[in-house]
Parts: sequence; C-alpha cells; structure tokens
Amino acid sequence: MDPKLYIEKLFEVKQMPVAPHQAALFEEFCSNASYLEAATDILRKQQLLMDAWSLNNRINDIKRQQVMIPNGTVGKVYGAQLDTTGWGWQDLVLLELEGLEAIGLAYDPETQQIRGIPEQNGDFKLKLKFKVTGEAEDAVPNEKLIPLIINPDPKSLWKTTPSDNTDPFWKADETAVSAPLGDRHIVAASKRGRSHANTGAFRDDDFAFAHFATSGWSVVAVSDGAGSAKFSRQGSRIACDTVVQYLGNKAEGGDFAELDTLLEAYNTNTGTDLQKKISLHIYQALGGAAQQAYKEIEAFAKEQGAGIRDFHATLIFALVKKYKSGYAVLTFGVGDCPIGLISKDRSAVHLMNKLDVGEFGGGTRFITMPEIFRDDLSGRFGFKFVEDFTALMLMTDGIYDPKFEVEANLEQVSKWDGFLRDLEGDNADLARVNLDADNPDIATELSVWMDFWSPGNHDDRTLVIIF
Amino acid sequence: MNGEPIEAVKNGVQLMISSLRQNPQAIETAFISIITFDSAARQLVPLTDLASFQVPDIRVTGTTALGEALRLTATCIDNEVARTTMEQKGDWKPLVFLMTDGMPTDDWQSGLAEFRKRKTALTVACAAGPKADTGVLKQVTDNVVRLDTADTHTIGKFFTWVSASIGVSSTKIEHSGKEVAGLDELPPPPSELNIVV
Repeated sequence: MDPKLYIEKLFEVKQMPVAPHQAALFEEFCSNASYLEAATDILRKQQLLMDAWSLNNRINDIKRQQVMIPNGTVGKVYGAQLDTTGWGWQDLVLLELEGLEAIGLAYDPETQQIRGIPEQNGDFKLKLKFKVTGEAEDAVPNEKLIPLIINPDPKSLWKTTPSDNTDPFWKADETAVSAPLGDRHIVAASKRGRSHANTGAFRDDDFAFAHFATSGWSVVAVSDGAGSAKFSRQGSRIACDTVVQYLGNKAEGGDFAELDTLLEAYNTNTGTDLQKKISLHIYQALGGAAQQAYKEIEAFAKEQGAGIRDFHATLIFALVKKYKSGYAVLTFGVGDCPIGLISKDRSAVHLMNKLDVGEFGGGTRFITMPEIFRDDLSGRFGFKFVEDFTALMLMTDGIYDPKFEVEANLEQVSKWDGFLRDLEGDNADLARVNLDADNPDIATELSVWMDFWSPGNHDDRTLVIIF
Repeated sequence: MNGEPIEAVKNGVQLMISSLRQNPQAIETAFISIITFDSAARQLVPLTDLASFQVPDIRVTGTTALGEALRLTATCIDNEVARTTMEQKGDWKPLVFLMTDGMPTDDWQSGLAEFRKRKTALTVACAAGPKADTGVLKQVTDNVVRLDTADTHTIGKFFTWVSASIGVSSTKIEHSGKEVAGLDELPPPPSELNIVV
C-alpha cells in the first residue's frame, strides 16, 4: 500500500478524515519524508505480523493434518513414499524423520522414502522435523508426529499348546503311518492345525485304513470334525473306524462275492445292465457303511447324554480292490474333503466326489446330519475301474484349501500334477516325500511336508495317499 | 454422539485393532470395515484386511439414521463379502457390531428388512448410554448389550469383548440349517440310480 494512502486511511479510521478544504495541507504534510517513512515502517510491521500469523496457522494445520503411511510387517521388506504432493506439502522442507532406527527402518531425504525391514512391531509415532517456506533459516524446526503401524510377523504369534491328554476323547496331536495295502502301499498323516495348537484345542481330523487279505479289499476313510461341535474329534474317529470295520466285516464275510463277479466282468462288458447292478451294490455296501457310521455316532452320543450335533464330522471313504484287469475304486463322500484318483501317466485325474460347500466360508454338511440320508444319496458315490494308477488321495480341507483353493481346481490335472510335484519337493521348504514303498522314512517325510506355511490356512491337516 | 463417548469409541476401536493384530488367526484372515451414521450413513473405511487397516478419524453429529446404516451395511455385504463358487473361495460370514446412543430418527424398519436378508455369523447391537433404545435394537438382533454409561471405561470394555469375538477362530458350520431328527433305515435307492461313470 502506498504510504500516503495509508496515512489518509489511518486518519479516516481514527475519525479525523481529511476534509476537501484540507487537501493542500495534507499534500504538504505528506511531503515530510519522516512521516512517510513512519507510515512505510508501520506497513512493514503489519505485513510482518500477518506473515507470521499465517505461517503459524500453516504450521498448526500441518501438525493437525491426518496423514497415513502404509502399515508394515516385521520381517517383510517395507517401502513407503511420503506423499508430500498429495498431502499439499509443496511449501514444506522436510528435514528429518526420527524414530525409524529403533524399528529397523531408514528415511532417505532425497527420495522422501522410508525403506528397510521392520524388526519390531507396535504402534509407533515418527517425529517429522520440517520447515515451511518463509521461516527464518535459523528458526527452530517444527515437529509433527506421524503414526506408523508395524504388524507382528504372524508366524511369531502362533503358540503350540499341547492338548489335554486326560480328556476322555483325547487323541494324539499328530500321527503318521505307512504300511503295505494289498499290492500297493499307503502313507497317511494327520496333524492338528496351528489354530488348534494355539489354544491347546484337540485335533478334530481322523483317518483309518485296513487291508482285508482274504477278500482282497482295502478300505480307507478320512473325516474332519466340525470346529463348532464340541466332541467332533470323537465323531471323526467313530466315523472312520466304523466304516473300516463295517466294510471289512462285509468283505471278509463274503458279502461282496457277487460284486466281485460283476467287477471282474466289468472290463470286458460295460453294458447298462451290468452298470446298474454294480451301482446297486455300491449303493447298498457304501451307503450301508455311511449309515452305520451315523448310527454308531448317534448311539454314542445318546450314551454320553449329548446331541449328535456335538459330534458333527465330514466323511469320505474308498474301497479298493485289485482284479486281474485292474483296480476297482469305490467311494462315498459327505462334506468338503476331496478324493482324487491320478492316472498312471499323471495325465488325467478323476475327482471321485462332489464337495458340499456353502455360500460362505466353512459351510458344509456332515455324516451326522440325518437329512443326508433323506436326500438323494446317489450323487455321493463314485466308481472307477482303472488298469493302474499313480495315486489315490484322500484329504481334509486343511490340505485342500491351501493347495487347491477352489473346487474348480480339483478338476484340473495340472493342479494335481503340481500337488504331486509339491510333494516331491517343489516347495518353499524343499520338503520332500519320496513316494517309494521301500522308503522307511516316508511317514515322517509326509508329516514334515505337512507343516507347510500358508497364510490364513491353519486348519487340521490330513492326507492319505495310496500309491 | 460427541464429546467423551465418541472419543471413547475412537479409543476403543484403536485398542481393538491393536489387540487383534496380536491374534495370529485374525491378522491373517480378518477384514474390517467401519460405517458411521448420524444424519446420514456412510462407509468410512471399505472392507480392509487387518494388517493394512488404519483407524480413521471418526466424527458423528446430528440425528440417528439407523435405517440407512442398516441398508448401507446390507449393500456393503453384497459388494464386499465373497460367496463361494467353483472358481472362488467364499469369505466367512460377517460379524456385525452396531453401536448407537440414540433413538433412530429415520424409517429404520425398511432398513432392517433389507439387512435381515443378509446372512451374518453374528450381529451384536450395543446401546451406549441411557438414551439408546434397546427395544429397537432387540428387533435388529437377539444379541443386545447395554452400557449404562457411555464413558471411556465402559466403552473400552465393550471393545475388548468385541475383539475377543472377532478373534475366535473360524469354524466349520452346517450350511443347511434344517433340523431333522431320527433315522432308521437307509431309504430305498432311487429308481434311476446310476453311479457308474
């Protein structure tokens, strides 16, 4: 502002306006250099006050501004760019960012990036020292606290608490076995998931198998107890044991003699009539076994004064027999555990059962639900006659979820081949299961392999391989 | 809600997130979204994984658009919670925690009707302070908790409990829901039985 104009305005504000007849006098007054200088001085000081005030405001706004930088995780490479443009900090000079060293990170003022691998978890407050354009060179830097969240490494949070082995339905937290199975071999492992180990809960999964030498039939069963049911670990055990025992008794008792005749003829004659007869046998034998499992659990529940719902468990099982021309594989399944039959040359896979999956995660059906038997059972059976095979696999969702993820992948041979290669050592841990009948460590190898890490997948894991 | 209660809610959310981050199951699997409602409802934070989640500045003033909040929650569930298909793994059913300190001021019943069509694993409503109407909340869910005072301590306790509920590991559940009792014999096979493939 012109100093002369300022003086005129000042007089006006102070109610001594320059009247028209005083114009000449005012002109003369303003020709005095010292008066003009005084006005210039006042104007300069006013400007100084205004500048200082807006600077203060700006600094205060910056301090209060909520800025977010991405969270980090212990042990994981971290990189974050300070978004000074996005935050509207064009007038800022960033000097230092303190508090990073203790976390294991560093700030690069050149690029305005935070980099490094966090070593500590927690809610940290970083101290940003900055200056705003217009501040004196020697002014004390301003400070702003910026929150930084470092998550713990999830792996470090899992605890292993043994389950209570005095519980009446206790079972070992993990188990692994291998054995000959007729002219083939079987390896099976089942272990408690991290989510259960973390709280000292029991393993809910189970499996059972047997070979019946007289009849030549082998039976293998896998069951996954529902996490929401309090005695499901017992439900899964009864389900597996019952099926193996029931079908073993039938086989050894000669009940499958007619089925044997039909299956022997199957390879040369696949007429509809023969197929229908075989179907009926499968329905009665395997359906009977499934129903027996239901009945046993129901009776046991009654004995315990509990509801059958408390024993909810899924159930898959397979009957296998070698004939002159090949192997007959008969299956039944309730729940979300798949049975896969991989061809001899690994070029094809046959998914033996359809999974019961709900709209949302975790939803499935159980052998302990009476409506299973009321609804049409026929979709629950599977039958395949093959000359030879690489592997017949039964697994619980603790394996299927991380390794196959979605149902559609179970139909893809490439996924199964990848799964086999994973077992053969193609994995991050280089854990290898040598599927060789003469390998004495095979059960241990499978158990070790089963410790694989998969974020969010910490359910009980059970895998049975007939090879 | 303003003053001490909203500050307490903010602190409570902060505390809840910090404690959930120490739960291995939660940090690998839990996703969180925040919807606020006053004169209108808005989704403050979309469904975000716990590891990336940051507590926003929560500010509410004005009236209590509960109906709009319920309707928005339903829409968000539709858009953000994945259903199981052959090609996609479904999310676990959502847990919904509703907190209010006043009487609804909008047409809450139509919002509730919309919300009811969505499946939640658990819905908990919390009446914070003496002015909230538990009668209304009882119609939203059977699980209603009342905090007699909406102070820092009480609200803090509520959030501690919420954290524990989210922290429980996801478990297998029945998806049919229908109850049929008793079972004697295997029903006769259907006439068109054909298993052979």
